[in-house]
Amino acid sequence: MDVFIQLVVSGIALGMIYALIAFGYQLTFATSGTLNFGQGEALMLGALVGLTLVGHMSYWLMLPLVLAFGALQGVVVERVGVRPAIKTKSEFGWIMTTISLAIIFKNVAENIWGHDDIPFPSPLPTEPLQFFGIHILPMEIMVVVGALALMLAVEIFNRKSIYGKAVVATSNDRDAAGLMGINTSMVITFSYALSSMTAAFAGVLVAPLTLTGATMGVSLGLKAFAVAIIGGLNSGLGVIVGGLILGIAETTTGYYVSTGYKDVPGLVLLLLVLSIKPAGIFGKSVIKKV
Amino acid sequence: MSLKIKSIVAVLALATSCTAFAADVIKIGVSGPYTGGSSPMGVSMRDGVRLAAAEINAKGGILGRKIELVERDDQADNQRGVQVAQELINKERVVATLGYINTGVALASQRFYEEAKIPVINNVATGTAITRQFLPPEYPDNYIFRTSANDVIQSAMIVREAVEGRKFTKLAILADSTNYGQLGREDLEKALAARNLKPVAEEKFNIKDVDMTAQLLRAKGAGAQAILTYGIGPELAQIANGMEKLGWKVPMIGSWTLSMGNFIDNAGKNGDGARMPQTFIQDPNTPKRKAFIDAYQKAYKIERIPSPVSAAQGYDSMYLLAAAIKQAGNTDGVKVRQALENLNAPVEGVITTYVHPYTHDDHEAITMNMVVMGEVKNGHVVYAYDADKGQAVREKTTAKPKK
Repeated sequence: MDVFIQLVVSGIALGMIYALIAFGYQLTFATSGTLNFGQGEALMLGALVGLTLVGHMSYWLMLPLVLAFGALQGVVVERVGVRPAIKTKSEFGWIMTTISLAIIFKNVAENIWGHDDIPFPSPLPTEPLQFFGIHILPMEIMVVVGALALMLAVEIFNRKSIYGKAVVATSNDRDAAGLMGINTSMVITFSYALSSMTAAFAGVLVAPLTLTGATMGVSLGLKAFAVAIIGGLNSGLGVIVGGLILGIAETTTGYYVSTGYKDVPGLVLLLLVLSIKPAGIFGKSVIKKV
Repeated sequence: MSLKIKSIVAVLALATSCTAFAADVIKIGVSGPYTGGSSPMGVSMRDGVRLAAAEINAKGGILGRKIELVERDDQADNQRGVQVAQELINKERVVATLGYINTGVALASQRFYEEAKIPVINNVATGTAITRQFLPPEYPDNYIFRTSANDVIQSAMIVREAVEGRKFTKLAILADSTNYGQLGREDLEKALAARNLKPVAEEKFNIKDVDMTAQLLRAKGAGAQAILTYGIGPELAQIANGMEKLGWKVPMIGSWTLSMGNFIDNAGKNGDGARMPQTFIQDPNTPKRKAFIDAYQKAYKIERIPSPVSAAQGYDSMYLLAAAIKQAGNTDGVKVRQALENLNAPVEGVITTYVHPYTHDDHEAITMNMVVMGEVKNGHVVYAYDADKGQAVREKTTAKPKK
């Protein structure tokens, strides 16, 4: 039993990392119907910028600066890569542009920070805490709490503030929102800023647990994409559930079946969801009128 | 009109002078990953080769010609490695190629060299199959050589350390899912079987995995007394950190990659005590080694070589190749291979002094007696046994021709 709980606890910590990145996919998809395929690279840049800053200040002081950097990076992605595609009503242009921007970011990072994985100093003690024989790292608790807090903050912002309402309106119907006087292209830029900001935040949260390096975002970004599809691209709750499912599935399959097959259940689930409920477990299917 | 003709003549003259110049240098390919998780090995290897080439050039080159290194990043990717091989052979027309860090890349790319009859010296990759890909009778001559300790040597040493050195009987194997990890796992199993042992657990992980809980809990559940590893730095660090997290500390003994800088740095204190076979430890216990370490530190302005083994093997591979070209008297691939297989003069390297390192049937320069156990201690790799420090340079034991 202890082993099972330990696996679930580790799975939750892993799943929340995926969920936080997947949340970023969901933010931009809601407003613009586009995704930033460089979400993993936004996470990587956040972590590396954070690593550089942490040399000069405390972890907590570094956080807001990294958030600001992430937002700025999101604006760049939107202006350079996504806006032209939306303007020309290109269906797939943004896929290529966000992927190529991601590759550029990765190369830039390799030139600035080198090719190697570097340790990220942990702001919390690295000794594990023990509860009834279950080991958990303080940093893992912080990942779960931090991820939930950020997602909650964004949800509250969307529901309560006037700007948030503009975001929700744009998500529901971009054309109608535009007719109501909402600057929808501004809202889309804003959602990209928010999305990259969450990714950068995820970066500095997970970096002490994973390793920091130019290639850290690739596999995390990909798994988070699977999570976004499983949970539903337009559901905030969906990505949390999707993340937890994938994280726990990975650790438990690894233990009970074989560590060689630990990625299989997640992918099988992805295929199942796509064939049975393509909008995701919590997603609303949208009828596209042409 | 006359101006046009003049310019054409000028361009032609320039072109011929360029080709004349190109024939004067000896082009040698260097293929390795200079980016990504195995880059500490690739970069150290390349820097070792560069150092040796610069020294040889400073002394007038080989056969009166300068060495020109053609360095290409194979990104530890099999397809990319094949492209690099084709480019080096067909476009750059290299005399020979040094390199390969990753067993998978080596196995995928070497075919083109074998067909083109151009020698390759593997200076880092350790997969047992690497030098046995092209054996008689199918292939009369093998163009693949090696200056690293192959996985048969490494796995035997890992198992010897665990079973004889530490008296363990319950051992778990953790290997990554690449060619390197899985071929190494097979060699470990064979080495254990030779002592009538079976691993109590065999676990797999992927490159870039961030969570090792399941693998470690399975090993723990099976009652493992030590973990034998076959992987590369970053994931090995995740294993060491994962053990700390689970509050379950058993010794890590594994392939030479436990000496990589990115394992030592990322595992921090959790990596202390990890042991691995090494052909070279950054310890100036011979004049040649001192000169090499000093030159490396001076040239690249660092204190700790990211992967000392790769640097030393890369350096030695360049000297072996230079000696072979010199003995062959020209740069023809067949002649260079024959010279490598019958080197007359001893070649003084960092790891050892190579006396007839290769024969027609034996393309391994390193034998088990040259390899020592290293241990991670306070961020550095040191000799695990002080006895090894004394007799630093060991000659090759005459190996039986391997079939």
